[in-house]
Amino acid sequence: MTVRVDGEVIWLQGACRVEEAETLAAALERRLCPVDLSDCTSLHAAVAQVLLAFAPPLRGAPQLEFLRDHLAPALAAATRSDLRQTSARPGVMDDGRPRPGHKGEGALD
Amino acid sequence: MSDDLLEIFVTEGRELVDQAAQDLHALERAPEDGGALESLFRAVHTLKGSAGLVGFAPMAELFHVAEDRLSDVRRGDLRLTPDLAEALLSAVWQAGRWLDETAAQGRLPHAAPVAPLLAALSQTDGAQTEVPEPEGDASPSEWAADLLTPSLDRPGPYVAFRYTPRPDSYFAGEDPVATVAAVPDLQRLTVAPRAAFDTSPYDPFTCNLVLSGLSTASLEAVRSAFRLVADEVELAELGGATPAGDGPRAPALAVRSLRVEGARVDALAAAVDELVVAKNSLAHLTNELARSAEPQVARTLAAAQADLDRRLGRLHDTVTRLRLTPLAPLFRRFPALVRQTAASLGKSAELVLSGEDVEVDKSLVDGLFEPLLHLVRNALDHGVEPRDARRAAGKPAATALRISARPVGDEVAIEVADDGRGLDLQKVRRVAAERGLLEEAALAALSDAEAAELIFRPGFSTASAVTDLSGRGVGLDAVRAAVASLGGRVEVASTPGTGTRITLLLPVRVRLARLMVVEAGGETFGVPLESVVETARVDAARLTSVRAGRALVWRERPLPLIELSDLLRLPRAAGAHDELKLLIVQTGDELAAISVQAFGARLEAPLRPLGGLLARVPGLAGTTLLPDGRVLMVLDVAELVG
Repeated sequence: MTVRVDGEVIWLQGACRVEEAETLAAALERRLCPVDLSDCTSLHAAVAQVLLAFAPPLRGAPQLEFLRDHLAPALAAATRSDLRQTSARPGVMDDGRPRPGHKGEGALD
Repeated sequence: MSDDLLEIFVTEGRELVDQAAQDLHALERAPEDGGALESLFRAVHTLKGSAGLVGFAPMAELFHVAEDRLSDVRRGDLRLTPDLAEALLSAVWQAGRWLDETAAQGRLPHAAPVAPLLAALSQTDGAQTEVPEPEGDASPSEWAADLLTPSLDRPGPYVAFRYTPRPDSYFAGEDPVATVAAVPDLQRLTVAPRAAFDTSPYDPFTCNLVLSGLSTASLEAVRSAFRLVADEVELAELGGATPAGDGPRAPALAVRSLRVEGARVDALAAAVDELVVAKNSLAHLTNELARSAEPQVARTLAAAQADLDRRLGRLHDTVTRLRLTPLAPLFRRFPALVRQTAASLGKSAELVLSGEDVEVDKSLVDGLFEPLLHLVRNALDHGVEPRDARRAAGKPAATALRISARPVGDEVAIEVADDGRGLDLQKVRRVAAERGLLEEAALAALSDAEAAELIFRPGFSTASAVTDLSGRGVGLDAVRAAVASLGGRVEVASTPGTGTRITLLLPVRVRLARLMVVEAGGETFGVPLESVVETARVDAARLTSVRAGRALVWRERPLPLIELSDLLRLPRAAGAHDELKLLIVQTGDELAAISVQAFGARLEAPLRPLGGLLARVPGLAGTTLLPDGRVLMVLDVAELVG
């Protein structure tokens, strides 16, 4: 198990593969809490994309140089600027919590 | 406004106009060429700025709009359609004309209507692209340059990449992050969604990422990291840490050249020409002296004279070479013109240019535009069949029109070739007969090649209906005259059904004219030796009267005999002559005998074209200075006789 929800924090541990993306997305949809990358050894693009889409606060410094020096800062930078530019992203409230019952723009209930 | 400012405006403006036209041409061939787009933008931006600086409002306005359009293109909001490219090119050429006018008159043009040009630039609104993600169409240099801010610790050069994996990448078992992790010497990474996320519900298995970054590794090494997804990656090489785009002009490529104003080169060339004249007069004196001098002294004088000849020849050669410029600026004017012309005739044409880098004298580049334009229009109008006829003949709908240049010894051959129906020689003969260009018998005697040459005769036009394009009362004879005034000649080759090729053969450099001095009506004139076939002294008894004129049989050919003094409306020399001094001259494809009062010396001298009012006097080719300082009028014999 590489996506572990521990109270207020989601931990990504070891090698996070493509199938973890769904688990992580579901967890973040339930509750948008910080994601800790300290124990992460690799991150599949699909998982990174979930972090980009939901923009949870990221914390922890992975061992692997690429993750620590490039991918994590890139994700942090993208979500920061994203939040700054669009305060009302679809499906996410201003305080970062998922918007209840949100069906996307233009969708009919 | 100071003249200096105008001078800079003209000099710099012309370079920018050339640059802009060149970039537009490059973009026409490769619309994705970000470098050309940047360079075009800079040129247009600077043209706008300098027009504003000299207070030339219409040009500033025109280029302001052009710049707006181009920045839309750079941002990816607008596509550079052929229409837009053409509107931009028209604006650029208009600027060229204004600059020419400014240079000629020493002040800005008074009337400068820009409304149609502005309308053409604005009418390209339909070309707005529908871009789902704005960054998708931005110019490569722009997205790459964005990666450079904030500045990096490691100095460049960098290789920038932008990797947009396909939406189904995850299903295909790909991991774009792993791919990027394998890029060597990664200095910067950015991650962005390809399109806005839809989180209701979130689809975790559709890839929606754009991964961009910078590496200090070689282009090859970066390319290799992406080799499995090569079609999803854009790469760009970035110089140093300075982002491309606005701001000061990027340093030009290191071309070892010196910018010298054309007028100075002309002044230098004129000084050398005068030196040649001075040498000729010295030669005259030397010959006089040598006759009365000791043999030893005479030999030394002759040797010194020969040495001077040789050195001056070399100097003249070097100076004329200064004036050589490539044909490219001339050729670049044609793609748009060909497209427009073909479209207005309901035809389509593809222009193929070659030999743009062949160098010729600057006067040729300036003087060949009209003749070439005429030939191009003529080819599209008369040479190329209508679409239906082309289809019936099994030819591609679009005509292949070629303009090419190649050096042929001391000359340059410039060809305009089409793949049309070729010359209808029967029709050419018939029209020539109808228009009375030649007697029936003479026509029948012509070879096919000679018959083809008839199209260059004054008064000949094969178009049954005079069209708007090439039928403005100006025939191909105008082309021949223009080319002849540049010291060249025209040849035509045609194959029925497969096309016509018209070749202009021109001297690469303006040569010293070889002249023969003659006297007529008490005055002295020069005749270019190339038009003189032979000089002859003929017994007056051998003349025959033919109708009103006189004729003589020369080498078993009857030739009309014309007095040069009559041609020039000068009084005939008094008294009858037992012996006639004749110049046998070539006019078109006929010979004529021109009688003169006396033959003079032969000399080699630079021929100066006539300026001002004299330029319109028919029969005069130019002037030159005689060794004794007198001005010699040089006759255009063919024009006088014809």
